[in-house]
Amino acid sequence: MSLHLPVISIALLLLASFVMPLLRRGARAAALPFTLSVLGAVFTVSLYLIYLVESRGAFSYHVGGWPPPWGVELYIDHLAVYMMMVLSSICLVVMVYGARDLYHEIRAEVMSWYYTLYLLLLASMIGIALTNDLFTLFVFLEISTISACGIISIKKDRECIEASFKYLILSVLGSGCVLLGVAMIYMITGYLNYDFVAQELPQAIAEYPYNILMALSLFIVGFSVKSALFPLHIWLPDAHSSAPSPSSAVLSGLVIKIYAAAILRLLFRVFPAELFEVVPVLDILLFLSVLAVMAGSIFAMVQEDIKRMLAYSSIAQIGFVFMGIGLFGNRALLGGLVHIFNHALMKSMLFLAAGLIIYAAGIRNIRDLRGIGVRMPLTMGAFAIGAFSMVGIPGTNGFISKWHLALGALDLGRPFFVAIILLSSLLNGIYYLPIVINAFFGVKIEPRSEHRDVPGMMLVPVLILAAGVIFFGFYPGPILALLEQAIVL
Amino acid sequence: MEIISRLLENYYYFVSMVLFIIGIHTMLTHSNLIKKVIGMNIMDTSIFLFFVSIGYRRGGMAPIIQPGVEAEMYVNPLPSALILTGIVVAVSVTAYALSLIVELYKQYGTCCANEIAQIRAREES
Amino acid sequence: MKDIVIRTVCRVIVPFVQVYGLYVIFHGHLSPGGGFAGGAILGSSMVLFALSFHLEAGAQKLGHETSSYLESGGGIWYILIGLLGLALGSNFLTNRAAGLGFGLPGQLFSGGMIFLLSLGIGVKVASTMFTLFYNLSEEEGSGGDHQ
Repeated sequence: MSLHLPVISIALLLLASFVMPLLRRGARAAALPFTLSVLGAVFTVSLYLIYLVESRGAFSYHVGGWPPPWGVELYIDHLAVYMMMVLSSICLVVMVYGARDLYHEIRAEVMSWYYTLYLLLLASMIGIALTNDLFTLFVFLEISTISACGIISIKKDRECIEASFKYLILSVLGSGCVLLGVAMIYMITGYLNYDFVAQELPQAIAEYPYNILMALSLFIVGFSVKSALFPLHIWLPDAHSSAPSPSSAVLSGLVIKIYAAAILRLLFRVFPAELFEVVPVLDILLFLSVLAVMAGSIFAMVQEDIKRMLAYSSIAQIGFVFMGIGLFGNRALLGGLVHIFNHALMKSMLFLAAGLIIYAAGIRNIRDLRGIGVRMPLTMGAFAIGAFSMVGIPGTNGFISKWHLALGALDLGRPFFVAIILLSSLLNGIYYLPIVINAFFGVKIEPRSEHRDVPGMMLVPVLILAAGVIFFGFYPGPILALLEQAIVL
Repeated sequence: MEIISRLLENYYYFVSMVLFIIGIHTMLTHSNLIKKVIGMNIMDTSIFLFFVSIGYRRGGMAPIIQPGVEAEMYVNPLPSALILTGIVVAVSVTAYALSLIVELYKQYGTCCANEIAQIRAREES
Repeated sequence: MKDIVIRTVCRVIVPFVQVYGLYVIFHGHLSPGGGFAGGAILGSSMVLFALSFHLEAGAQKLGHETSSYLESGGGIWYILIGLLGLALGSNFLTNRAAGLGFGLPGQLFSGGMIFLLSLGIGVKVASTMFTLFYNLSEEEGSGGDHQ
C-alpha cells in the first residue's frame, strides 16, 4: 500500500482541485479547511516517503501496471522525496498565511478558483519531481505553467494581467523548446523513459550527434526560461512583484526551483557524462549563473518597491542553484540542492513578511519602511532573520548552502567562484541590511495611513518559517544527509 | 549535393523547423498580442508536425488490429497519441492567453504591447 | 442573428453532430478518436447552437452552473476510475491486470475501463469548450480559470 502513496498524493491533489469549484454557497466555507487538510496530508505523506526511501531505497511505480518502456513510470528516489518535502511543506505554510491575506487581495467569488489553481500547481510540481518519463514531464510542465500564470492573473489588476501574459508567452516558448527536445530524443532513441533513453544515448551519439546537441540545447533554453536564469529572466520581476503575496511566495520560492531540479535530473540521469567533456554545457551554465548572481543583486539594489527587490534577489539566488549544477562536483551540487530548500524557506518568508507589511501599513516603497520595526517588531524581526540568511551570516540556513557551494568550488580548484559567492553576499548585504537597520533604528515617520492589526493566522506562518531558517542554520544535518544520498555522480 | 538530397528526402522535418522559426519570430517580435498568440500556435503546430512525422512510415497502415487482417507495417501510433495531449495543452494555453488579452483590452483599450507600455510609462511619470 | 437558413440548417445538423461526437467518444478504443476528439465535437455542436441562435438560448440548454459541475465531474470521474485500480489491488489506472472484464476484441464493450475514461474525458472536454466559449464571448469573462 505504501508504494502507492506517491501517486495517491498526486491524485488526491488533483481530486481536491476538481472538487473545489463544486463547493457553492454554504459549502464554500469548507474550501479552506479542505485545502489545508489536503496539503497537510500530502506533507505527511512526503515525510513518510522520506522514511520509506531512507529505509528501503529508491523505488519506481508503474502507472497502469504497464512496465517501462510502455507505461508511465514514477521514480521515487532521494532527490524526488526531497523535492516533494520542500514543495509540500512550503505550500502548506504559505496556504495558512494566504487564508487571511487573500481576502483583501482577490475577490471573494474567485477564492475557490484560487484553491483549485494552487492545488493543481502543487500537484504538477510534485509530478515534475517524481516523473521518470519525458512526455509526462512535458504535460506537468504545461499544467504548472498555466496554474502559475493563473495564480498571478487571478488578482485582475492591470499589472498582474500584463505580467502574467508576459510570463505565459515566455513559458510557452520554454515548454515548446522542451517538447521539441523531447521529439529529438524520441526520434533517435525511440524511448521516452529516462532510463531507456540513457541506455540508448551513448550509442546514438556516434550516429546522430546533431540531434542530441540540439535536444540538449533546447532543454537548457527551455528550462532556463522557466527558471529565470539570467538573460532569460525578464518576465520574473513583473510577475513575482505584482502577484498576491502568497502567490509570490510560492512562485519565487518553489516554482522556479522545480525547473532547476528537472534540468538537473535530465543532465545527470539522461545525458551521458562523456557528452559534457565534449560540449561545454556546464561551463555555459556556470557562466550564466555567475552573471545571474551578479546582475540580480545589482538590479535589486536600485529597486524602490520591496516586492520587486525581492523578485530581483530571486534571480540572483537561482544563480546559486545553477552554480551548483554547473560546478559538477559532489559538494557543490550538495550546496546547490540544499539552497533549493533554504532559499524556498527564506524567500517565501520574506515575501510573506513583505505581504504583512503591505497588509498592515499599506507600504510598498522601501524608503517608507523607516521605523516600521517599532510598530511591527515580530514581522520585521522575521524579515531581519531572512535578510541575514540572504547575506549568509552563520547561524542561518543561507550560510549552510553558501558554505557548501564555496567548499565545493575549492574542492574542484576553482577559487574564482568562492570570490563570486563572497561578493554576492556583500552585495546582498548592501541592499538587505539598510532596510533592516532603517526599520528598527531609522527616524520614525508618522504613520500616513490607517494601521491594521496583524492577525495571528498571518503572523504565525511567517514566524514558523523564520524559526525554520534558524533551525536549519544550526541543524542542517538531516537535510544534508538526505541530499548526500540523492547525489550519485 | 548530399545534404540537399537528404533534405528533399526528409522535407517534412525541414518544413516543421521553418514553421518553428516563423512561430518564434512572430511570437517575440510582433507587438500585437493576438499576433503573438497566433505565433505561439504556429510554433506549437510545427512541433506537433515534427513529432507526428517521426512516427510516419511510408506505406504503413493505420495501427488498428483487425481480427484476420495482417498488415506488413503499421504507422507508429505513439507520437500521434502524445501529440493529442499536446494539442489539448495548446488549446487550453490559447484559451487562457485569449482571455488575458480580452482582459487587457478592457483595461487598456488596446491590443498592442507597445501602446500598453507607453500608457504605463505615462502613468508612472 | 435571425437568419432563417442558418437556424434551420443548424437545427438539422446539431443532433447529427452530437450523435457523431458520442460515437467518437464511445469508439475511442476501437478506432481513431476518443474522449478529447469526441468531446470537442460535442462541445462545438453546442457552440454552433449558441452561435446560430443567441447566447441566452445556448445558456438555457446548458446552464453555466451545470456546465461547470460537468467539468469538475469529468475530472473527478477520471481520478475515481484510476483509484478503482488501486481498490482492486493493483496500480493506479490499471486495467486488465486488475481483473476488469474484457469482451471480444472489436466489440463496443471490450476495453475495460478505457470506455469509462473516454466518457469522463468527453464530458469534461465538451463542457470545457462550452464554458470557454461563454467566458470569452460574454462581457463578464472570468478569465484564467481553466485546467
